[in-house]
Amino acid sequence: MAPGRAVPDALSQSRRLIAQAKVMKFSTEMKKEMGILCLVTGLLMLIPLFNAVGPESGPLSVSAFQVSLWGKYLTYAVLAMSLNLLWGYTGLLCLCQSLFFALGGYAMGMYLMLMIGERGAYKSVLPDFMVFLGYQKLPLHWEPFYNFAFTVAAVLWVPGLLAFVFGFLAFRSRIKGVYFSILTQALTYAACLMFFRNDFTFGGNNGFTDFKDILGCNINSDATIRGLFIATTALMVCTYLITSGLLASKLGKVQQAIRDSENRVLFSGYSTTSFKLMIFVLSAMIAGAAGALYVPQVGGINPSAMEAAKSLEVVVWVAVGGRGTKWGPVIGAILVNFIKSYTTHAFPDYWLIIMGGMFVCVVLFMPDGIVGVFKQAKSYFARQRSLETTAA
Amino acid sequence: MENSFKKILSLVSVAAFALSASTVRADDCADDTVKVGILHSLSGTMAISETSLRDVLLFTFDEINASGGVLGKMIEPVEADGASDWPTFAEKAEELLAKDEASAVFGCWTSVSRKFVLPVFEKYNGLLFYPVQYEGEEESPNIFYTAEAVGQQAIPAVDYLLEEGYTKFYLIGTDYVYPQTTNIVLFEYLLSKGIPVENIGGGIRYEGDVAVSAGNYTPFGHTDFQQIVAEIKDFAASGDACVVNTINGDANVPFFKEIAASGLTSDDCPIVSFSLSEDEFRGLPTKDLVGHLGCWTYFMSIDSPANDSFKANFQSWLANDAPAAVAKEGRVTCSPMVLSYNGVYLWKAAVEKAGTFDTDAVIAALEGGISFDGPGGTVTTQKNHHLTKSVYIGETLEDGQFEILEVMPDVYGEPWLKGTF
Amino acid sequence: MIAHFFFLGCNGKSTVKHWISLLIVAAILTSSASARDARTVMAELIQSERAEQAGLIEELSTYGDTIIADIYEAWRTGGIYLLEQDTGSQLLQFTDAQEWALVHNGAVINLSEAEAAAAKKQRPARALRKQMKRIIDTLGLKADNTALRIDSAIKLGRSQKAEFIPALEGRLKIETDKQVLSALQEALAISRLANGEDAQVVEAVQTLKALNSVAARAFLEELMQAEGDNERADSSLSYACAEALISIERHMKQQEFFGSFFRGFSTGSVLLIVSFGLAITFGLMGVINMAHGEFVAIGGYVTFLVQNFFIQTWGLSSSAFGWYFIVALPVSFIVAAVIGLIMEVSIIRFLYRRPLESLLCTWGISMVMQQGFRLIFGAANVQVNNPTWLMGNLSFAGFQMSYTRLLIILIALVVVALTWLLLRQTNLGLHIRAVMQNRHMASSLGVPVARVNRMTFALGCGLAALGGAVLSQIGNVGPSMGQAYIVDSFMVVVTGSVGNLLGAGLSAMGIGLVDQLLQPSLGPVMGKITVFVVIILFLQWRPGGLFPTLSRSLDD
Repeated sequence: MAPGRAVPDALSQSRRLIAQAKVMKFSTEMKKEMGILCLVTGLLMLIPLFNAVGPESGPLSVSAFQVSLWGKYLTYAVLAMSLNLLWGYTGLLCLCQSLFFALGGYAMGMYLMLMIGERGAYKSVLPDFMVFLGYQKLPLHWEPFYNFAFTVAAVLWVPGLLAFVFGFLAFRSRIKGVYFSILTQALTYAACLMFFRNDFTFGGNNGFTDFKDILGCNINSDATIRGLFIATTALMVCTYLITSGLLASKLGKVQQAIRDSENRVLFSGYSTTSFKLMIFVLSAMIAGAAGALYVPQVGGINPSAMEAAKSLEVVVWVAVGGRGTKWGPVIGAILVNFIKSYTTHAFPDYWLIIMGGMFVCVVLFMPDGIVGVFKQAKSYFARQRSLETTAA
Repeated sequence: MENSFKKILSLVSVAAFALSASTVRADDCADDTVKVGILHSLSGTMAISETSLRDVLLFTFDEINASGGVLGKMIEPVEADGASDWPTFAEKAEELLAKDEASAVFGCWTSVSRKFVLPVFEKYNGLLFYPVQYEGEEESPNIFYTAEAVGQQAIPAVDYLLEEGYTKFYLIGTDYVYPQTTNIVLFEYLLSKGIPVENIGGGIRYEGDVAVSAGNYTPFGHTDFQQIVAEIKDFAASGDACVVNTINGDANVPFFKEIAASGLTSDDCPIVSFSLSEDEFRGLPTKDLVGHLGCWTYFMSIDSPANDSFKANFQSWLANDAPAAVAKEGRVTCSPMVLSYNGVYLWKAAVEKAGTFDTDAVIAALEGGISFDGPGGTVTTQKNHHLTKSVYIGETLEDGQFEILEVMPDVYGEPWLKGTF
Repeated sequence: MIAHFFFLGCNGKSTVKHWISLLIVAAILTSSASARDARTVMAELIQSERAEQAGLIEELSTYGDTIIADIYEAWRTGGIYLLEQDTGSQLLQFTDAQEWALVHNGAVINLSEAEAAAAKKQRPARALRKQMKRIIDTLGLKADNTALRIDSAIKLGRSQKAEFIPALEGRLKIETDKQVLSALQEALAISRLANGEDAQVVEAVQTLKALNSVAARAFLEELMQAEGDNERADSSLSYACAEALISIERHMKQQEFFGSFFRGFSTGSVLLIVSFGLAITFGLMGVINMAHGEFVAIGGYVTFLVQNFFIQTWGLSSSAFGWYFIVALPVSFIVAAVIGLIMEVSIIRFLYRRPLESLLCTWGISMVMQQGFRLIFGAANVQVNNPTWLMGNLSFAGFQMSYTRLLIILIALVVVALTWLLLRQTNLGLHIRAVMQNRHMASSLGVPVARVNRMTFALGCGLAALGGAVLSQIGNVGPSMGQAYIVDSFMVVVTGSVGNLLGAGLSAMGIGLVDQLLQPSLGPVMGKITVFVVIILFLQWRPGGLFPTLSRSLDD
């Protein structure tokens, strides 16, 4: 089936599926899930709450630093969820998820750099790095980023477009498995090299730093930090709902079928290319959105965010948390980064060994991740009980 | 059933968060210690250079503690590993300031890391001492730059070469902000000294029809210098040519190996490098570097009582008191290490002058001008947060040391040089 | 000689023979006398004050002994020592043979430990070095090494200083090597461009055209420019220059093309050696070994340790030192193979049917190994000196090929050949191929699959270490040296089809060639990016790589 014909088919299929989702009755399973989601969201909301009205010191105090730190963890969680959508549920190991993350970040970064206005070191309308490189005026592709709406759109369509083009070329030729992974690694490596060049008009090696305002609010103020945290939580909830909705729908079934056996799906008459492409683009857009919220919370972006090693880290988070589960990537992302923050502070000389050792153990002894551990423990105890009952 | 496990999980994560919130947030600042931060990359690509700075800082803190501490309080170092990752630097900086409440932080090497932590220090009104030669064009109210500014490294070196009669300058560097900015300044400087544009090699960069800079820039980790060395040989053929080298660390090995293989000697065409110190020479083929030049505000071969005692004390600390993670064999001292050392003593002097650890008072004391007789000579702080210090020009010897050719005492540190010639 | 002389005298035989012997003896005496004088003058110069130096240098320029260059080089690199004793001072040279020799007559003497410690290094002042340059450069014309003679000739010519012309002409008369002869002609022609009368200049230009002198290009352009400025753009000189430039540029393009090819082969060889091990572990076993870069680093560090051992036992300047590289190759192979074996038995063994898990696990291992290197060897790069027989270039058809890179190409070919032999001609190779094709069937037929796996993995790791040993000669040895090659290695393996070693070899060479051919026009960064884009597009056309496995099974 020519891809051209498959795309309208897939689109009409998905339209039907979305319509189906709307009339689906809420089952008890779904009620439980929503309950968990609300609980988690509520707990997360405590963080900015305590920062705003809580005590200044003591065990219940939450500093602005901690809010932005947890906000960062949450953007990582969203990034992990986007990879999980692609890897855990569709079976495509993409080693360039950080590239999409960074592209979204760069789009937001461009807006933030322009918002600095004349408060930079050189007191010029142009960003500092352009001044010292001798640029006379703003390059054309920077102009539209004065507009926040355009920036938000760019955060989504720039990674989405890249994913579309690359995915189209890759899936059309039936590149799969390990080949696909290595190719995505090459893509992110090449992009990293491009962005490191100083004449690429994206700040080169220094990247973008020293932001002042976002949407008119001081980026360093506690209120803005809380706002960004809330926005990140909202993005996470959104992503969870999208993932959930997708999985519950027929589209999700096809997706998981592709993961389990792509050939059979093909033979059953589905255009796997279109499905994979759709998921790839969707996951890239989610990663881009996460990146856009990451940049104001960290205060900068630089081409090293696109390095191949960063994408591997995302894979590690999903693997540790448990791929193919809904909460696994979130737990994995938060836990691994939390441990990393702690060990780089407490054991600056040995943290790499600790982290590396942890990955090895997780892979060897917990192949389904942390979420999987509970399942493993459950089944072990269940077997023990059944053995006891049969013995008795 | 899965859901109940997930509930437990969420509760566990909340507990973890609460735990993190409570750890070390409680006032750890015991009455008789003061926390000081060390923010360097102890892993990743930058660890090659930055671990030495961490080592010398630990040594300095031990030395000060042995002589009574600062205002009677013992220094408690808090190490944070930036892991050669710039967002990690920002996060660690914030941790040092918000959680540990460090009175001062000594750290950063690359300009990127400094630029990422700058907003953090300004937000929390912290104090950072930055010791590594850099491109200038910055002056933050919360950072003190003990580093060499362009006017304390590149300009004196070029002055020396001009005096020696060199009229052709080939600029080569790695593609990032330090070489780019330094070369913009040097380009303007050379033109102002009457060197014609044709005599500046590496490729001229134009903005419109104005020549703004020159230089050949290679990407990080570039290893194939055959083409470039052939160009340099061409450029140097007519004599009186020299090379200004701002290639970053590692890539200098293949560069100098290629230069040696091409038959270009240091007498034909001397190369002055700004990113190579005694520390980097440990990993370089120093035979190929004999006769080439370096320019710093400290050389290990300086013959002074202050330097002798510094080196002796450092070696004995390495042998007896250094922690396990510090490498003990084959250690040398170099300018960034000494500038870190100077930074700590300047901070100590400022605290003692101000009588308090409060950041604003200490900054005011430093801006007022404080001097310290370091291993590299006397250094004095300036109002613009840079240092006045002596500049040394030296020639590499085959054992990785420098032979000092010229000393320029008391050079003022000026970060804003672009457009001033 | 003296006895012979007396004998003849006594015998009163042929007077011709008698006079010849006399002349020979006289020649020997005077030549040894002049050799002594050059040494003596050098010795005096080293110990002289500023005021006397000019005169001594003038005197030196009258001698043409290459011993001057040797002593000067030793002086420049810290090999000359002054030993001051009560009985007077002695100027000594610490030779490559690790002996002490008196400078003024070359006689070897013995020094006690105390004396050796008391000797102080002497170094020439910068100003003096500048003055010596002229002499040293001219002496280069007489060096034993042809490459050095060629280099010196061109250097003297390009300086366009009239004072060097007599030296060049003098050498031209007695030189025998063809390459050096043409270099001398080139040098003289370039020099005459600035120092001759009009007729001579035109002749010089034509000589340069005939010789296709790349070195003269800038000067010819200058000359043409000058003619144009003087409004003599129509002169015969101007035309001659233009013609010469065209001819030279054509020759240069040819050379560049060959040069790029050579560089492409050498880059490809490095890539091949480094990624061959990965082709084996990944291709033959389905294990994605992200710690491959760390095995490369193991190779580099083992080479460093072997080098240190040689330095401690025999000394840096001894002739035995040069052999350290040959010894380091098998040693690093064995060490890495053993470490790989341990890794396989403890960890990798559980990951065979799970390629993506192996990726994660080995990534963790690579983190541990990297930090391990930092803790053991320090975070800084370590110094590995090239052995002397690897330094220098081979001149071929006008362009230089460095010996190091030639050796790398040779090693790559040997690696490919040995691996082919192993796979095709040995039992182990047969077993490996069987396990690769169908693990379960092979096991059913009695192939010891576990042992084969262990050996294969160890082999792959050993090959990676060979790559590291090779890399230590051309680049840095540090904890993260392997990281730079991981992405490239995977690209090579994937392009060459996973599981096909010939494909891996061809793709390594191909990628290296394309990279180098694109570099002159696109620059290193854009060149690399273009290579990646080309690979991505190539995989569009042939998704299975160069030699995709054709099988009826769908999931292959």
